[in-house]
Amino acid sequence: MSLRSSVAAGVGHLSYSVLHGIFNRGSSLPGLVALKLDPDILYHYKDRYDFVIVGGTNGKTTATALAVQTLKQKYPDVLYNPTGSNMKRGIATIFVTAPKPKKKGLAVLEVDEANIVRIVKYFKPKAFVLTNLFRDQLDRYSELYATWDRMLEGVRMAPKATIIANADDPIFNSVDLPNPRIWYGFNDQPMGDLEAPSNTDGVVCPKCHHIIHYGFITYGGLGAYFCPNCGHKRPKLDYEVTTVERMTSADSVVKFDGNEFKIPVGGAYNIYNALAAYSLARFMGVNSSSIKNAFVESPEIFGRQEKVQIGDKEMVIIMVKNQIGVDTVLDMIKTDKEPFSFAFLLTALPADGEDTSWIWDCNFETLKGHNIPYYLVGAANYKDAATRFKFGGFKGVNVEPDPAKLIDRIKEIPTKRMYVVTCYTAMRQLRKALAEQKLIDGGME
Amino acid sequence: MAKYQLQLAHLYGNLLNTYGDLGNIMALKYYGQLLDTDVQSRVVSVEDEFSADDYDLIVLGAGQKFEQSIAREDIDSKRDELHRYIEGGKPMLAVGEGYQLLGQSYINQRNEKVAGDKLLSHRSELPTDGEPVQGELVIKSLLGTNMHGHENHDLVTFLGNGEKALGTVIEGVGNNRDDDTEGAVYKNTFCTNMHTVLDRNGELAKKMLLVALANKYPDADLTVQQNVKIESPY
Ligand SMILES: [Zn+2]
Repeated sequence: MSLRSSVAAGVGHLSYSVLHGIFNRGSSLPGLVALKLDPDILYHYKDRYDFVIVGGTNGKTTATALAVQTLKQKYPDVLYNPTGSNMKRGIATIFVTAPKPKKKGLAVLEVDEANIVRIVKYFKPKAFVLTNLFRDQLDRYSELYATWDRMLEGVRMAPKATIIANADDPIFNSVDLPNPRIWYGFNDQPMGDLEAPSNTDGVVCPKCHHIIHYGFITYGGLGAYFCPNCGHKRPKLDYEVTTVERMTSADSVVKFDGNEFKIPVGGAYNIYNALAAYSLARFMGVNSSSIKNAFVESPEIFGRQEKVQIGDKEMVIIMVKNQIGVDTVLDMIKTDKEPFSFAFLLTALPADGEDTSWIWDCNFETLKGHNIPYYLVGAANYKDAATRFKFGGFKGVNVEPDPAKLIDRIKEIPTKRMYVVTCYTAMRQLRKALAEQKLIDGGME
Repeated sequence: MAKYQLQLAHLYGNLLNTYGDLGNIMALKYYGQLLDTDVQSRVVSVEDEFSADDYDLIVLGAGQKFEQSIAREDIDSKRDELHRYIEGGKPMLAVGEGYQLLGQSYINQRNEKVAGDKLLSHRSELPTDGEPVQGELVIKSLLGTNMHGHENHDLVTFLGNGEKALGTVIEGVGNNRDDDTEGAVYKNTFCTNMHTVLDRNGELAKKMLLVALANKYPDADLTVQQNVKIESPY
């Protein structure tokens, strides 16, 4: 390491220990300071670590954290960016603040699609893990194929890296690449001939531009796809879900390659997250039973669900940021056997995405067959949410513009549990109020 | 069952499907009920037959550029029937990329100028400063009402011969940064940059439904329908 980088790294260390005690926002400051001193500081870690980059729209954080949990068995020093701060400075922070690895360490980095190219500039990863690509925030910059092109720019700079990708997402098989490929996906159902619902993203065959069909669909546009026109189809799976034995809102029991795994939270998307982590761990040489233990020993890693007890009521807070996020959450909570109440909080600040038109593509209507005696819509954009539910044929929906007041409103629900499906800003407002009333620990973010 | 039935074609509804156009269809169905009218919706997409006689309403929505390019490859095959539909004064809503597709030309995902389907006279271009447009939009509409919506577009549009603006911009950008217009109207084809426009602007939904009813049921007395008051849904 050059003198300049050593100094930069040292200052990073200092600022972390000093600033972390003073400010809450210490998480990426050491990296910021170190990058100011040496903008290319990442370059100096390229030989001390093996690297894995995790990319995709949803599930990056969960898949990364799970993979780290399993890989700790093989690498004594595993770094990752735990706060979801996946910009360059967040990544710089974890290196400058980590103890120097005794032997070669491993860094598993969750990287935003647009930043892959900036990170790959400094080191060549052993593997890319690609979870899925969905429309996220509805700005023109994040169109599906534009995002994929930006990811590919980074991937093309590391042609030797193995790509471990979700085989059920057609876009990951849309271009030929020199890289070794590993595919994971679901293989637990008989094959039929289905089309995705018309409001599904990316249902066009990447080879011939006809509408793609599916043997089965797991959620969104993911599944065993095939093109009836040109024969393009899902690649052969290397790692697969062979059985889903149980899927509730609280957990799943599944078989990966014939071996049973318990996943301590519900939802098909968390099965994908676990399968992504499993595939990476297997690729890195961790055995199946070690992976199994890692899953059950760290239930807090899964998802963004948070349970809060308020008197005799339970509030389950689940953050969403896009249509597919809502639909996967709806699929999960519908497996709850008890009657429950449902709240949807809509905000449209830049952190949430300012275009709220995605709410019209969410399948809220599928809640109607379930025992849900109480609905509420709320937060700053409650009018749009109320219109959505009204036009969707829901009657008697409660309205609450202030997320903080949900703490009182939950007392009026006729069920024990209320699921609060919420955008980021409304979640912050609700959590702040919960923290003020000492219902949750305010230090968590 | 309601007294009247209308058939709606959701044109390229499985491609131009990103910006909540199902909401426009849900609004037409909701206001349809207030007008004693059932609206049946069907996706008409690539390689599907489209006959102007089969439909009373069309929604052609907004979407991503890749999907827009696939709709572009197909729409020529439907052009004659769409022309007959539009010239026949039947109501259509075109939003965002759908609006661009109907015009003379627009810019694709590779920044190339491509021909639109030339059913209408406007053209869409990259803004000179390259800045995409996003934010709240308020216009004084030619229906006499103020219309509200969210605009989110990377191209700017200039109206051509025979087209009127849907309204004059009060707040926001609208078609472009030069002439204070928003949207386009030709006969009963309504084009706009506002996403899910009918959800916040029931008057336009009512207008489209009344036109469709008058076309399909020329002898019906629609006084009751005309007198239905549109209130803000929330
Ligand atoms: Zn094909």
